[in-house]
Amino acid sequence: MQGTSDRGKTETYEDQGGLDPREAARLLAQTQRQAERELDFRSPWLSLLAAAAALVAFGSVWLSVRGQHPYKYPTVVGLLGLYAVVAIRIGSVLYAHRRATAGVSGRSVRQTRAEGVALGVALLAVYVVMGALAHAGASDGVVYGVYVVTATMLVLGTFAAARSAVREDWHELGLSIAIVLVAAGSAFAGPRGVWLSNAVGLCVVLLAYGAAQAWQLRGSRPAA
Amino acid sequence: MTADTLDPLIHVPARLQIVATLAALPDGDALSFTRLQEMIGLTPGNLITHLRKLEDADYLTSEKTGNGPASRTSVALTHHGRAALDAYTETLRGLLNGL
Repeated sequence: MQGTSDRGKTETYEDQGGLDPREAARLLAQTQRQAERELDFRSPWLSLLAAAAALVAFGSVWLSVRGQHPYKYPTVVGLLGLYAVVAIRIGSVLYAHRRATAGVSGRSVRQTRAEGVALGVALLAVYVVMGALAHAGASDGVVYGVYVVTATMLVLGTFAAARSAVREDWHELGLSIAIVLVAAGSAFAGPRGVWLSNAVGLCVVLLAYGAAQAWQLRGSRPAA
Repeated sequence: MTADTLDPLIHVPARLQIVATLAALPDGDALSFTRLQEMIGLTPGNLITHLRKLEDADYLTSEKTGNGPASRTSVALTHHGRAALDAYTETLRGLLNGL
């Protein structure tokens, strides 16, 4: 690619149409790839971080409840580990998203804000229902174990699936469906096992997604 | 088919980069002048010159919001501009297949 100073000097030459079709095709493909990459906040590193976050967050809760007979609820230490990791994950996604979408305005920005509100309301509803279940006399194992983690992951997974289907992002749709399947399947593991099953299942799914992203980036990198 | 059949407004490195970069945005989105400049690596004066040519041809629209130092100019590809890039890409493909 030409440098800034060269461009100024070659202005007249450019306007005379001195661009070979092969060179034009190469420049077009390279610019498209670069723009798509710079405007997309997702990356293999972010997926790797998400995989580690899922393993540590759910794993720390599992460590705090695995010895409880009967099951009560996650300990303060376990929950602190969960919330700390979730906060780091949210912070890293927001940072990457802001960086990628700096200077972008218009419809997609408004859509993302509206989606954020919808997701926030859905997650809030999960916790309202959790209160309702406790109030109705459901066991601690169901309310603070199976229900809370499964419902949260189902909301996140189905939300991401719907969003990616609308955007025709098939890789992310696959990831979202895998998250829903892990969450639904993990519900069978019981109040203690549900944390471990989600930790391992989500970690594996996110690692696979990160590997697929890295493979895709490698494949689209221009030849030297 | 010869290289002369390629849209002369797009068939210039800087403008090809501008149009291809703006086409990477979802329909209905705009990009700030500063970010576009950062992504393409042109000088402000050079970028303005090329943007003006594309705007005159109705390939893109620009909108200025705010006043003074807080003002911000955003540019977006029009439907006409997107169609022109599609046509350019098709012509280029045809040319390369014929080579």
